[in-house]
Order: sequence, then structure tokens, then C-alpha cells
Amino acid sequence: MTTPVSSAETGHSPSAVTQRPRRRRSPKWVAIAFVAPLLVYLLVLYAYPLVENVTMSLHRFDRGSFVRGGAPFVGLDIYREVVSDPRFWRVVSQTATFTVVSILFQYVIGLALAVFFHGGQFRLSAALRGMFLVPWLLPVIVSGTVWQWMMNPDSGVLNSFLGVFGIDPVWWLNADNALMSVTIANIWLGIPFNLVILYSGLQNVPTDLYEAASLDGASSWQQFWRITMPLLRPVSVITVLLGLVYTLKVVDIIWIMTTGAGSSQTLATWSYGMAFGKGASTVIRYSQASAVGTILLLVALAFGVVYLVMQRRRED
Amino acid sequence: MTKSPGRRVSAGVALAACMALAACTTPQPAAPSASGEATKGTTTADIKFWDPYPQRTDGSDWDKLVKACAPQGSTITRTSAPQSDLFNQLTTAVKEGNAPDIVVLDNPMMPEAVSSGLVATAKQANIDTTGVDANLMGPGIVNGEAYGVPFGSNALGLYYNVDLLKKAGVDPASITSWDALNAAIGKVAAAGGKGITFSGVTGEEGVFQFLPWFWGAGANLNDISSDQSVSAGQLISDWIGKGWAPKSAVTDNQSAAWDLFLTGKYGFAENGSWFASAAAQAKFKIGVLAIPSKAGGVAPVPTGGEFAVAPVQAKDADNHYANAAAVIKCLTDGDAAMKTNETLGYLSAKADVRAAQVKANPVWEPWVKSVEGAQGRTTELGAKYVEVSSQLSEAIQGALNAAGDANAVKSAFAAAAGK
Repeated sequence: MTTPVSSAETGHSPSAVTQRPRRRRSPKWVAIAFVAPLLVYLLVLYAYPLVENVTMSLHRFDRGSFVRGGAPFVGLDIYREVVSDPRFWRVVSQTATFTVVSILFQYVIGLALAVFFHGGQFRLSAALRGMFLVPWLLPVIVSGTVWQWMMNPDSGVLNSFLGVFGIDPVWWLNADNALMSVTIANIWLGIPFNLVILYSGLQNVPTDLYEAASLDGASSWQQFWRITMPLLRPVSVITVLLGLVYTLKVVDIIWIMTTGAGSSQTLATWSYGMAFGKGASTVIRYSQASAVGTILLLVALAFGVVYLVMQRRRED
Repeated sequence: MTKSPGRRVSAGVALAACMALAACTTPQPAAPSASGEATKGTTTADIKFWDPYPQRTDGSDWDKLVKACAPQGSTITRTSAPQSDLFNQLTTAVKEGNAPDIVVLDNPMMPEAVSSGLVATAKQANIDTTGVDANLMGPGIVNGEAYGVPFGSNALGLYYNVDLLKKAGVDPASITSWDALNAAIGKVAAAGGKGITFSGVTGEEGVFQFLPWFWGAGANLNDISSDQSVSAGQLISDWIGKGWAPKSAVTDNQSAAWDLFLTGKYGFAENGSWFASAAAQAKFKIGVLAIPSKAGGVAPVPTGGEFAVAPVQAKDADNHYANAAAVIKCLTDGDAAMKTNETLGYLSAKADVRAAQVKANPVWEPWVKSVEGAQGRTTELGAKYVEVSSQLSEAIQGALNAAGDANAVKSAFAAAAGK
């Protein structure tokens, strides 16, 4: 006579053992069915263009072989040519300058405005905050054209304004000053984004911390530096990293103002110009454009990895 | 935590393998057929026509002229895009096998279009090229074979503001060399006007405007860093430096330069014959001179104008070429040639039609010599012209930015040639 073995001792009831294999198979197929559309979308719209881009940079294309096929495989020759081009390092440093200076000023000015608006609700503060969003809301073609018009060296509004203070007119869009000019326009474009996100970040800082600090005798600068900034760190990191990856790819504002001429040539505009035979590069260089595009992609990827690592570290 | 790195690694390996495989295989050829005869085909119901005149919108004279050329039972759909965009779109369309029936292509792009296998021969598309001037047909002849036909040509000239010049005491007839031109601009500037407008924009348009000065100095497209070439660059650079030309010339196209001239403040404008009728109707009196060369005399100007071509087709080539043959014949045969050129503001590529145009409209009189003496841009270099044009464009930009600094101009030309 067998003593009934309790389920607790064996751990599983006999019926559960026979039922489990059948239950395991169907959820797996259902899961695949759910994931399949997303996978197809990713493959067609992300993986395929990416692979095509890399392929193009490894073969020497010209207009003829683009149409008829038969471009020869040249391995990393195109990359070697691009990197040894006398323009390459200049363009890289211009890209770095453009990105870093834009982000820095966008963040600082955005933060200053967010703190200002957070400090107190005065009459029309909501309307004023709305007006600061205008750069973000205007189509870039409109804002780019207006900046170009304002920066006209002979008759532009900016030079007239400088003239009021007795400053000589600046040739804003010539080869040397182009980088400074597009950076100024880009900073103006990016402030609303920083303002909105940092403002909402500030809302999440508990006010009793400030009360406790002022009771302890902390000045408003100390309060800002010791309470606001540390608590704003996660939001700041997101804003800055998002801004970095976005600014690296910016083509529209630069293209509208200067078509990437002179010092305003960045990796993104250089790649665009070569890919379509526009601007400074009236000849289409398919392979070189793909190579520069891939290099840009790797740089953006590096920043993305930095963000993921920082996220992981915060979770731990 | 231990599962995710493993899955991530395998996903990464799969992607890398995918890319390595794709990278090492040669791309599949997508060759459209280069055979087909217009005489063997019949016209189809839908005809696609591409041209580089986006400023001529639906309902404009040119638009109506093109659409009226549809053969019996067919309709023409006309699409416009700027020159280089059109060329790129044509490249993609031929690659995909759905090229339009007729494309109107800028003449310096013809050799590259031919060498890339984008266009069919004039024989295949049954296009009549008889009677066309040799210098204007030149860009469309590659290895002795003709591809397409030009409607007509335009030329560059020196428009001037009659009243401003009279006020400054300048006799237009005396402007026959660079020194005389510079002296004239100086006098106009001293009398309170501004100097000269032109287009130095990046790309073919800026090079087109620069070539009369380039060739007028005796330079050759085979060597763009020669002393003569640099002197031409110095000429336009000095205009910016002395404030005789607007700094916006660096980014202005010919249309913008013309608008500046129409304000009436500038004494001179280097612009094209397509503005001749607009000049006749302007608010102030405008005259036109031939562009002077450096030492004295008339500078050669580049041949302007576009070619009508039949792109290579992947399927139904016979019918598509028949479409092209019908429409192009309708636009260039007999009296139609005159109407087409008058609508576009060009002087016909055929000498007899040109004579008729001049007789009918005296505004063309000063332009005939320039058109007949015009030089092809691709005559010596063929398909290599596109690359040289790109280098020259960089040199021009460098020279204009230098604003008169002689060393900077010289190094800009040297650097552009070296690349």
C-alpha cells in the first residue's frame, strides 16, 4: 500500500507534469507572431538601408556602375581615401565644434530660462514661455531663410543692429564665419527643447528640500548647485545625450543658410552634398558619401552606447 | 541578467554576419536594355516629360506648348526639377527601369549622361539633328554619335543701367577690356551707384558665370590653377573687396543677381539672354554689351541651353522612343522651333530660325554674335568636365571669400586644382 505522497514533497502534481509540455509550445509561436511585424519593419527600414550603405562604401561606384551595376569591391580603400583627404580632419573638428558649442549654450540658456520660469508664476509667464517655443514650432526652412536674410552682410538687420553700437559689419556667411553663424542659429533652434524638458524636470524636485535648505541658511546659489543640479541629473543626461545625437546629424539648418560652404561643412552636410551632388561637391561621389555616412553613424553609436552604460549604472 | 548578454551577443553576431555577407558580394547589375528603335514602335497614351524649368508652372506658356505637343490620343505629364536634381532623378529612374519618355538635360551634363548609359542615340529615338550649329550640337556628340538635340542656346552678356552710366559719364561703347570695365564701374561707384551684380553660387551656375572671365583671360579648362585663371579669380575677388559687387554674390544664383540689378542701384549685371525681354520691360532703360576679354575684344561665353533626349528604357523601348520622337519633332520641326525658342527666351540652335527670330524681335540683335561664338564647356574634357567644374566652383568660392586678398585667391585656385 502506497502512502499518498503529498504534492508539497514532490513539488509538482502528476497532472501538471503532463500538461506543461503542451502549454510551452503554443505561447512561443504566438510570441513569434506578435514580434514578426516589428521584425519585418526593422529589417526593411533599418537593417536593409544600413547594409546597403555599408556595401556602397566598400565598392567603388560612379554614375555608370550605379545604373548598370558591376562596381568593383575595394575593401577599405574608400575609407582610407576619405580619412586621408586633407578636408577630413578639418570637417571632423568643425563637426565637433558645432555640436559641443551648440549643446553647451542650448543647455545653459535652456536651464537658465527654466529656472527663471520655475522661480515664480508672474502675469503672462505662461504666454512668455509659449513665445520661447516659437523656434521649435517654426519650420526650419522658414527660420533658416530668415536667419540667412538677417545675416546678409550688406543690408542685413544684424549688421544694422551692430552698427548702432559702432561695431563694424560682420560678413556672417563667408567661409571663415559660416561655422559661427550656423552655430548661433542652431543654438536659437535648440533652446525650446531644453527649456521644456528641464522645466518639467524642475517641477519634480520636491519643494520641502528648498525650505529645509533655506532654514539651514543656504544661499539661493548654494541651493541651486547642491539641490537642483544633482536632482536634475537624470533629466540633464537625457537632454544632453539626445541633443548630441540629434545635432550630429543636423543638415537642414546648415544647408539652408550656407549649403555647407566654408567652415560650416560638417560630416553630415559633407555626406549629403557628396551623395546628391549638391553644394560644394557638384560631382556625385556615391562611395565616399556612404563612407562618411558610416563614420558619422559610428560616432553617433558611440554616444548611444555611452547613454546605455550610464542608464545601466543608474539602475544598479 | 545572465541570459541577456548571451542573447545580445548572438544577435550581434547574426547582424555582423549579415553585413559581412552583403558587403562581400558584388551588387546585382540592374541593366536597362540599350536596344530599341522609335520607328518600330507606336506612341502610348501616357507620355512623361521632364524638364529643368520649375519656374515655368502649370498653365505657363511653356507648359501649354509642351502639352499641346501630345500626339493624337496621348496626354503629356510634365514634371520639373532644378538641373542637378533632375539629373539625379534621371539616374535613379533609369536604374529602376521607369525612366520618362523625354528629358531636357543641361548641355554640360550630356557626356556624363552618355558615358553612364542613361540616354539613347538620336538615331534610335529618330531625332532630327540636321541644321543645328556645330558648336551647339557639340556637347551632344560622343564618339561621333549624336544623342538628343538642343532647342536653342542662351548666352551671357553685360546688361547696364543706361541712366546710371550717363550720370557717371561712362560711354558703354568704350567698355572693351577689363581695365575699361573696372574704370567704368569705378566711375559709377564714385557717382553714388553700386557696381556690378553676378552669381558666384556653388555649383555649375557659378562656374557658368565665371567662364567668360576665365576664357577671356586666356585660361584653359585643362589647367585651372594657371596664372590666367588666377587673374580672372582676382578680377571678381577685387569687385567684392572694393564693395563694387554685393557680398551676397557668394550665394546668389543668376535669378537673385538679376533681382538685385532690377532695384536700379547697380550699374552693371552679368546675366543671360533669357532676361532680354524682361529687360525690355523694366522700369528703367537697360542696354546690353558683350562681355569684354582681358586684353581687348569680346570674351568667349559658354554655350547655354539644354538638350532634349530620350532616356534608355528597360521595357517597351520601341514605344517609348516613338513617344520621344513625336514630341521632340513637334517642338523642333520647322516653325515650331521658333515658337519653342521664343517661349523659352532662347536663340534657336539653327541659323535660319535664328535669323527669323532676330528679324521678328529686335531685342535679340545684340545676342546673336555671342551665341554664334559660344564655346562648349565639354568640348575638350568630355565627361571629365563635371569634375573640373566642381574644382573650379571651389576655387571661385575661395576667391570671392578672399575679397581681394591676392595670396588667398592664388592659394584657393591651387588648392582646388590639387584636389
